[in-house]
This record gives sequence, C-alpha cells and structure tokens, in this order.
Amino acid sequence: MIGRKHIPHYAMVLPFMALFATFFLYPIASGLYYSFFDWNATSRARFVGFDNYQHIVASRDFHDAMINLAAYVSITVPLGITVAFGLALLVDSFKGVWANFFRTAFFLPVVLPAFLAATIWRWIYAPNFGLLNMILGWMGVPSVSFLNNTGTMLYALIAVDVWVSAGFNMVIILAGLKNIPTHYYEAARLDGATKLQQVIYITIPMLYPVLFFVVTYGFISALQVFDIPWLLTGSSFAAYGGRQRALLFPVMDMMGRGFGGLHFGQASAYGFILTLVIVLITAGLFAVGRRRFAQ
Amino acid sequence: MNIARRLGMASVLALVLSPGAALAADPVTLQYWVYSDFAEGDALKLQQQFIAEFEKAHPGVKIVISGKGDDDLTTGEVTGAASGNPPDVFMNGLPFGAQLVEAGALDNVYAKWMAMPQGFRDQFDKDAIASCTPKPQTMYCLPYTGFNELLFRNLTVLKQAGIDTSTPPKDWAEWFEQMKKVKAAGKSAMPDQTQVFNSVASTYSIVGPHEEWGIDFAAKKTKINPETYAKALQLFVDMKPLASGTSRNDQATKDLFITNQLAFHVVGPWVDPTYRQAAQDSGLKYDFVLVPGAKPDQYAGIKAYEILGVAPGKNADVAWQFAAYVADKPQMLRWAKLLSRYNANAAAMADPEVAKLPLIAKSVEAVKYGLDVKPPYFVGAYPNCYNSIVTDNAAAVADGKTTPADGAKSLIKDLNDCIASN
Repeated sequence: MIGRKHIPHYAMVLPFMALFATFFLYPIASGLYYSFFDWNATSRARFVGFDNYQHIVASRDFHDAMINLAAYVSITVPLGITVAFGLALLVDSFKGVWANFFRTAFFLPVVLPAFLAATIWRWIYAPNFGLLNMILGWMGVPSVSFLNNTGTMLYALIAVDVWVSAGFNMVIILAGLKNIPTHYYEAARLDGATKLQQVIYITIPMLYPVLFFVVTYGFISALQVFDIPWLLTGSSFAAYGGRQRALLFPVMDMMGRGFGGLHFGQASAYGFILTLVIVLITAGLFAVGRRRFAQ
Repeated sequence: MNIARRLGMASVLALVLSPGAALAADPVTLQYWVYSDFAEGDALKLQQQFIAEFEKAHPGVKIVISGKGDDDLTTGEVTGAASGNPPDVFMNGLPFGAQLVEAGALDNVYAKWMAMPQGFRDQFDKDAIASCTPKPQTMYCLPYTGFNELLFRNLTVLKQAGIDTSTPPKDWAEWFEQMKKVKAAGKSAMPDQTQVFNSVASTYSIVGPHEEWGIDFAAKKTKINPETYAKALQLFVDMKPLASGTSRNDQATKDLFITNQLAFHVVGPWVDPTYRQAAQDSGLKYDFVLVPGAKPDQYAGIKAYEILGVAPGKNADVAWQFAAYVADKPQMLRWAKLLSRYNANAAAMADPEVAKLPLIAKSVEAVKYGLDVKPPYFVGAYPNCYNSIVTDNAAAVADGKTTPADGAKSLIKDLNDCIASN
C-alpha cells in the first residue's frame, strides 16, 4: 500500500514517468507489437507471427549488412580508440595555448555536420582528381575509385569514421589522463621506466574505467552506424548501400525497408534483431569489464 | 418573392459559387510541402506570391510552405499519412506515386479534376495527365514541373579535342567518336553512368525501346528484354575508360565540367543555373542539345514529372483548389519565365514568351523522346532492391566481371527474384 505521506513523492515523479512511458516505453512496445505484423503504416495490420523475423534473417541484404557490420566494428572500434588514445597523449604532452589549440583542432570534426564531413571526404576520395588520388598520382599510383571499388569502400568509411569520432574519445580520455596522480609517473621515472613502460604500466591501468566507457560506447555507436555511409554512398530510400551493397549496414537496411518499401513490420523486427545484437555484445563487454574490475 | 428574400437567395448563391467566400466562415491552414529548391531564393519568392494571391482570393485560408529534401518529402508524407496528419498539398516525383498511394497519402482527385472547366483540363501535357491517371476514374496528381535530360556540352573541352561544335553529335556512333577524342586530349568524356539508376536508365534509352523498360506488375516481372539490354550494357563497357569516375549527381562532376575537365554531362535542366553562373564568373563555354540516340533520327534521355498531390481529409477540397491554382497557366507561365524551367502546363510552354527561352524550347523538344524512369506510375511500388540490382549489374559489366550478354541474362533473373520477393 502506498502511504498517504508518499503521494507527493509519487506525484513529483509522475511527469517524468508519463513522458518516459509515452516517448520511450510505448514506442518500444508498439515496435515489438508491429514486428509480428505485415503493416504499411496506414492499412490494417495483418498478423504474420515470426514471418518478418524469418524473412529478414533469410534475406540477402541482411546477410550482407551483418557481414559488413562485423568487419566495420572489428576494425573501427579498436582503431578509433587507439587513435584517440594517441591524440590524447599528444595533447596531454602540450601545455597552455598549444594544448588548447590541438584539443580544439582534433575535436572540430565532432561538431562538423555529418553531411559536410561526407561532402569533404567525397572530394578527398574522388577518382582522378580528388586530393588523395592526386597525392597517389605523384607517387605513380593509378587512380583508385575509393567509394565505388568494393575492395576499398569499407576502409574509406572507416577512415572517415575514425576522423570524426577520434576527437570525442580523445576528450574523454584526456579527462581521464588529467586525473592520474603525477607521483606515479615520478616514481616510475625514478625506477628508470621508459615512456612506453609508463604508458603500459601506469596510464592504461589507471585509465581502465574511462577506456571501458569509451570501448562500450564505441561498440554501441558503431553497431548503429548509419549517417556517414549513407552520405558517402549518396544513398536514398530508393537505393542505398553503395556498389554491390559494400557499405550496407543494418540501420540503413531497416530504414530502407520501412520508408523505401513501406514494410514497417519488417523494419520493426529488424530493429529488435539489431537491439538484441547490441544488448548481447554490451552484456559481454560488461561481463568482461566486471571480471577485470574484480581483479 | 420580396426583395429581402431575393437578396438572401443571391447571397447563398454567391457563397456557393465563390470558393473563397464559402471558406471564409471556416478558417483553415494548409501545409504545402515542396522540394527544397522551390523554397529558396527567387523560386520561394514566386511561390510566396502565388500563396499571397490565393490567400487574398480565399479569406480564411492560410498556407504554410515548407521546403524538404527528397527523402524527407517521402518520409514525411508517408508518416504524415500514417499518423492522420499529412501535409495538405505536396510535391513528389512520379516514381514515388505508387508508394504514396499505398501509404494513403494521395487523394483520388478524379471527380475534382472532372469538375474543373474543360479549358483548365486542356492546358496540361497529355502524357503527364495520363501518368497521373493509372485507370479510369482514378487520378492521383496534377503534373507540375518536370524535366527531360539534355546533353550539356563543354565547348572549350570539345574544341581542345579538335571537335567541330557547330552541330551536335547526330547519333551514338558520332558521339562516342567524340568521347574518344576528348579522352585522347587528356580530358574526361562523361561521368560514370553506372553509378546512379537514372543514368543507367538514360544510357538504356539510347538503344532500348520504351515499352521494354519498367515492371509488368500483373506478371510480377521486369519488362527488360535481355537481348536489347545487352546492347545497352555494351555502351557502359565502351564508356568505362572515358569516364571521370564520378556520378552524374556529384558536385565533383559539375566542378569538373565548370573547370573544363569534362566534356559531356547528361542531366536535367537543373544544372543550368550553376553552369550559367560559371559562364558569367569564369567564362565557361557550354551549350545543351538533345541526347543522341542510336540512329540519326532518334533521341534519348529520361523524363519525369514532379507532381502535386492532395491529401485526403477535411481540407481536400481547398487543397485541390490551391493545387489547381499553382498549376494553372498564369502561374506556370511566371514560373517558366523566372526560372527557365520546363513544366507540365503545355499551354504555358506554348506561350511565345516562354517558348523562345532556349532551355525551355530544347526541353519541350526533348520531352517528346524521353523515357519514363519507372513506369507504369501509380500501379505498383518498385521494390527497394530494384535500383541497386540495376546499377550493380551495369557496374559489373563495365568492370569486365561479366559479358554484356551474360550480364543482361543475370539482370533479368535478379530483377524478377527481387520483384517476386517483395
């Protein structure tokens, strides 16, 4: 029984609960419900059981999207964090104006609108006359169509993604670096530790909670990759994923099924499959992290 | 009948006959969604003028114009229809018509259309009206603006390649010879035509008959004939070493053209303002001609219309009146004069002041030969695997991964599988 004295407390959380239920719980429940229906958003929904799930899992596009995603995540997350870590160490080594300058410079891509970043990179990657091909041309390398060659498209995307995300991760890691007491490094130097040894034996262990956050966040973001490959490939709801679907990812496929094909039941089912994948990977990361913390 | 009663009856009659007066009692706000380039600069000013005129003639009606990107238009119209709150009057492209019908976003305006005076109905391009009318007594749109592709030629590049630019290439063979000369002069001849569905369709139109393009929705099969299509695929193979590597839609392609690095750009007339500006700013020398076909008396290129749709619901009548107003000749005449852009109002296009504008004159001529991009309209939605299968197939053949004949056969199979699985 709710005591009379608790009523004001419940009344105070009621606005939040109402908004939370309306804009968070209801869409999830509604999405789950429609994932079992054939529904084009306007006509009467038809119950199809698990057909949407089966249809998606059996489809060519889902298969390609998942393979692309696995390759993308396995490269972009470790590479992105390594680059961010390196940048953080670099910025941390500067003092005063230069530290501010480099921090701002590296963070700039984070605040750049995605369409602008993609436009810049489409120019850089352009065959024959793009910046990258010009440089390669000086070295005698023939022109590469980075965004249309299925062998290079994924790496071209990863380079853009690392460029965009490194600044964000760098700022977080930098904040972690500032919290490491300097006397650890002083003691290490007295013991004759090299710079590399200081990083391996002091910096990384002391940064573990921060790195855990960055890794987890990086995985969750990477698993939902959408805007940069969409823009780099000039995708629309009529055609997306680039040449031979080399940059097709699950969120793109989900959006295409929903707004391109009006299969909102399938799109909902797709969302839940992707959510399940993200939850499983995140749970795995937390399990590993918990074990590491326990040590 | 006394005078007071006669006055009363006359007032009622006036209310019924005057839409503006009838609507005055019931204030209404119409949401009018247009492509983003209709809501910028001079185009927006003219649209606002149309709106002001309509609002003045229809007291109580307020119209709010919103510019949207291509995907945002379709997404917003579909989700708006799903939530029961669609825009009242909106633009989109004919190829998306079936999808909007399926989503319930488009009202069947046939009765409203037939209620319009014959003079109003006669002013539109007949083919465009037919595209909006998939079956008897069913009409889903008013054709609005439109395009047929033209061949934009960089005259500086062509002269550097030793090509006489006084006459356009008479057919594909001559055009292809010019492309080879351009490449020999160290420039790019064409964008990569395999990258975008519309440029694949455009290339097909050089050699393929219109009736073999599109989907037979009753049979659930593509209409593409593999033997004819193999000829189109051969064109991609031929053009591959001569291409810039950029798609026809890339900003980079326009920049290459403007900086005298690209000879030909097959595209709609919307690039003309950019090229005209470049002609003023940097001395770009260019012209536009009909896209050559396989033989001297044939022409190619794709065509499509932007449509005006009206959402079903309580505002459908006044929304139709507004759509009819902006698509009417006086407005389309002003639109064509200001922007030099082709539209589906044939009467406006035939007006001497408009007909003498070079871009419009060429567009009016070109549209007679244009291939519909995704026919038939308003019958069925193209599955979202269709475009990528077509472009991937063209790219694979152009890259030499398969022969045109085998590529055409596999295309038919893949497209039919795609259509059947939808």
